[in-house]
Amino acid sequence: NEDEDEGIEHVYVERPPYHSYFDSTSGQLEPASGARASIPGEDCWPEGTSDRVRAARAPAPAGAISAGSSSNGQNPGSRRRKHRASATGPRSSDAIIEVKDLEEETAEEPRDESSEYVIYQMEPEVEEETGFALDKKLGRPHPFIDPKVKKPIEGTLPEEELWWNWKKPEEEQWSRWQRRKPDVETVFLKAMAENGEVKLYGETPSLTETALYRARKHLYKEERLRLEQEKLERIGPMAYYSEWVKAWQRDTSREAVEKHFQETGQDETMQLMEMFSYQTDREYRIMMGTDIRIKRDPLAMRLKEDQIKQIWGGDPVYPTINYKQDPNEIIDYRGPDFHEPTPNMVAYLKEHGKLISRHELEQTLAKEKTEQVELTDMDDAMARAVDIGENDEEEETSDVEEEDEDSKLPRNWSVLKTAPELRKSKPKAKKEGAMNLDEAIDDSENLTDFLMDFEEE
Amino acid sequence: MASSVPFHHLACCFSVSQQEKECFQQQLWRTTRARYSSSRIRATQQAVKASSVEVPAFPLFQPSQLEEAASEQLEPADPDFYKIGYVRSMRAYGIEFKEGPDGFGVYASKDVQPLRRPRMIMEIPLELMLTVSKKHPWMFFPDIIPVGHPIFDIINSTNPETDWDLRLACLLLYSFDCKDNFWQLYGDFLPSKEECTNLLLATEDDLLELQDEDLASAMRKQQSRAFEFWEKNWHSGVPLKIKRLAREPERFFWALGIAQSRCINIQMRVGALVQDANMLVPYADMLNHSPEPNCFFHWRFKDRMLEVMINAGQEIRKGEEMTVNYMPQQKNNMFMERYGFSSPVNPWDEIQFSGNARIHLDSFLSIFNISGLADEYYHNDELSGSEGSFVDGAVLAAARTLPTWSDGDLPPVPSSERRAFKELQEECRQMLAKYPTTSEQDQKMLDSMSEPRRTLEAAIKYRLHRKLFIKKVIQALDMYQDRLLF
Repeated sequence: NEDEDEGIEHVYVERPPYHSYFDSTSGQLEPASGARASIPGEDCWPEGTSDRVRAARAPAPAGAISAGSSSNGQNPGSRRRKHRASATGPRSSDAIIEVKDLEEETAEEPRDESSEYVIYQMEPEVEEETGFALDKKLGRPHPFIDPKVKKPIEGTLPEEELWWNWKKPEEEQWSRWQRRKPDVETVFLKAMAENGEVKLYGETPSLTETALYRARKHLYKEERLRLEQEKLERIGPMAYYSEWVKAWQRDTSREAVEKHFQETGQDETMQLMEMFSYQTDREYRIMMGTDIRIKRDPLAMRLKEDQIKQIWGGDPVYPTINYKQDPNEIIDYRGPDFHEPTPNMVAYLKEHGKLISRHELEQTLAKEKTEQVELTDMDDAMARAVDIGENDEEEETSDVEEEDEDSKLPRNWSVLKTAPELRKSKPKAKKEGAMNLDEAIDDSENLTDFLMDFEEE
Repeated sequence: MASSVPFHHLACCFSVSQQEKECFQQQLWRTTRARYSSSRIRATQQAVKASSVEVPAFPLFQPSQLEEAASEQLEPADPDFYKIGYVRSMRAYGIEFKEGPDGFGVYASKDVQPLRRPRMIMEIPLELMLTVSKKHPWMFFPDIIPVGHPIFDIINSTNPETDWDLRLACLLLYSFDCKDNFWQLYGDFLPSKEECTNLLLATEDDLLELQDEDLASAMRKQQSRAFEFWEKNWHSGVPLKIKRLAREPERFFWALGIAQSRCINIQMRVGALVQDANMLVPYADMLNHSPEPNCFFHWRFKDRMLEVMINAGQEIRKGEEMTVNYMPQQKNNMFMERYGFSSPVNPWDEIQFSGNARIHLDSFLSIFNISGLADEYYHNDELSGSEGSFVDGAVLAAARTLPTWSDGDLPPVPSSERRAFKELQEECRQMLAKYPTTSEQDQKMLDSMSEPRRTLEAAIKYRLHRKLFIKKVIQALDMYQDRLLF
C-alpha cells in the first residue's frame, strides 16, 4: 500500500483566506465562492418546520449540576425538597424513618447534620464565551475551525508552497504608493536600466521614471507608426509592400505603376495582388508579424526569469507563488493620454473644415439667392387630392407620354451605381466668357443649372 | 374582592402534597376577565391570608413580611428536572418550575401580553406520557407493555367503566420497572408517600379528623377497593415480575393516589383514531389548580404533543403561577376525595340549608358587587373601588349556595329579608356548633403540630376550611344586613 501511495501526493485543498473581495469589474463586494439565493421565510416552510425551529430555539436548561441522583424508580419523591418548617423534628411514623435510612444509604455526598436539605447550586456559573465561540454563537462570520485550536493538516504543504495561492502582499504599508507592485512598465524599465539602455536614479524605477518611460514608449510607437504611414503614402503601396516580396524585382515607383496601369489597365490593387502572388509564406509571416522566430522585442526575450515571473507569473497553467495579486486591487485601465491637455477644439474643427467663422457664414448666406417658390392657386382640398386614375381617358395618353419620355430613373440605375462610366457623359457647358468656377456657382440659381439636359427643354 | 393567594405562601393552612395538584394554590379571581392588576394582588393577598390564617377578616400582620417569606420559600427546582425532559424533546417556554414548602409549581418567568391566540408554554411529547384509552380495546401510548407480561392481564381484568385509576396505577408501577423509562427518572420528582395528602394513605384517625362522615365513608370505600385489588393481583403466588412492582399495599395506594390526582382526561387523536384517554403527563401535572385558571391542555395531533397553553387574552405577569382547572364546579369534598386538597374559598362550595328562608339575590349580588351569570360569578372591581378584599371565592359560593329568590323587579321586603337572613345565620351557627372543634382550635392544632403527617394535616385543613367557609357566609350575611338599603 505504501508503494502505491508513494507516487501519489495527497495534497489537501485549503480554502482561500478571504471570503469576499471587491470585484474589479463591478466594483462591488463579491463572495469568494458562489453566492447563494436568499433563504425563504417562514411562510414558505414545510409543515412542522416552525414547530421544530421553535423547539430548537428554546434555551437549553442552565448548566447547573444537580446535587442529587436518580433512584431509577425505587424511591419516588427522593429528589424533592422535603421542606420542613423546623429543621429537625421527631419523625412521627416509622415508615418515614425507614425511608430516611434508605436515603442515607443511597446518598453519595455526606449531608450536613444540621439540615436535611439538599445543597443546590443557586447561581449557575455562566461561562462567557469569547472569540471564536462567541462568533459562532451569535452567528457572526467565523472560520470553520477555532483558530486557536486549529492544527495544520498533516502532509500538506505550507502556505508558501501552494501553487494557486492567492496571497496578499505581505508587508503592511501605510500607503499604497510606498511600494509599487511590479507591473510591466516597471519591470521593463528596470530591465532596460540593467541592460544599460536607460539610466535610473535608483535601483527601482520611481513613479516619474515609469511614467516617463510609458510616455516615451507611447510616443515612439506613435512616431514609428506615423513614419510608416507617411512612407506608405509617399512611396505608394506597391513600393511599400515590395519590401516583403523579395521575388518582385520590377520597378515599383509610382510612375512605373501608373505606366503599367495605362498599358495593361490593371489597377493598383490588381498589381498588388500580382505582386503578392510572388510572396512566400515565410515572408508573409514576417510581414504579418506572426513569426516567432523573429524577435519582436529583444528586451522581453532577455528578461530574467524572476523578472518575467513578476509580470506574467510564469507558467500560465500553474502560476507560481511569486505571482502575488491583491484580490481587492482596483485595476486602472486609463490610457497614456489620460492627462492630455484639453485640445483646442475650435482650432481643430476649423482646420478640418467642420467649423466656419461667423463672417464666412454671413458671406455665404448673402450669396445665397432667395428661392422663388411657385405657389399654385389650388385650394387645400385640391392639393390634398390624389389621382386614383378614375378617368379612363387620360390613361392611354399617360402611357404614351411615359414611353416617349425618358424615365427620370434610367432602367439600369442599379448598375450605374457601381459602373459610373456607363452614365452618358453630359456635354460640358460652353464657356461663356471668362467665368471662374466660383463665379459660375454664385451665378447659378442652384446646382441644377449645371445639369445640361437639353432634352427636357 | 377575591384575592389571588399563592396558597403555599401561607405556611399553615395548606394541604401540602404534590400528589394532588396543589390545592387551590392560587385563588385568582380576576376583576375583569382579562385584566389583572398586580397591585391588587398584594392588597388582596394580605386580606385573604389574614382571613384564612386568622379568624377575623382584618389583616393583623404586615403583608410585606409574608411576601418576602413567600418568595424566599420558592426556590427553583432541581435543574435535572427540566433537563431530563429537555433531552427527550419536551420544551418549556417562558416558565420555570419552582419548589415551595408545599411542593412544585409552575411560574411564569416573563411577562406575557394578552394575545389573540392561546400561547403555548409547554409541550410534552407522547413518548414521555403514560396513556391508557378509556374504553375497549385498551391501547397504551407509548406501548411499553410487552405482549406476554402478566400486568396486561391485570389491566384486562379491570372494569372498563370505573377502574381507570387502577389501570393507570398499574401502568405507573410497571413503568418504574421498565428499563430506560422516563418515569424512572421522573418518579423522583413525584411526591413520595410521606408527602402525599391523598386520603388513600390516611389512617382511620385521619379520616375521623375530617369531621365529615360522607367523605370519610367514601374514602374508606376507596381504600377497601384499592386493597382488594391489591390483594387479588399481588397475592403471594404472583410472579416476581408483578410482585416487585408493589411489594406493599402502601406502594400501590400511593401509585393509585398519584394516578387519581395527576391524571388528565383528554380526547386525543392518534393516526385516524380519536379516543378518550387517561394520561399521566410528566410536566403538565406540576400545574396547580385554580377555579379561574390561566392555562388549559391541548393535544397537538401533528406531532403528538400535549401542549399547555395560556388562555387567549390572558395577561401574565412575571412570577405568576400557571394554573389549570382540575375539576370544574366541584365542591370541596370532591376535591378532597380525588386530589386531597381543599380550599376555604372554593366558589362552588355548598351548604345545605333547610327551611324556607330566602334572601333577595339581586340585592345580595349588588351589595358585594358580584357580576356575571350564575355559572360565572366574579367580583367586579370597577364598581367596588375601595371596598377592598372581603369578597372572595367564599362569598361567591355563598351567592350560589344561599337560598335566594329573585323575581324581576320586585323589591325585597325589608322585614322578610331581615327575618330570612336571621334564620340563615342561625342555621350557619348551628352548623358550626355541631362541629366538635372550632376553627380557632383547628388552627391552633395545626400550628402546634410540628411536622404532622400530611394526610392528617390535610384532614384538619379540610375541616378548617369548611368552618371558615361557613364563617364567611355568616359575615357576608352580616354585611348584607348592614348594607341593605331600604
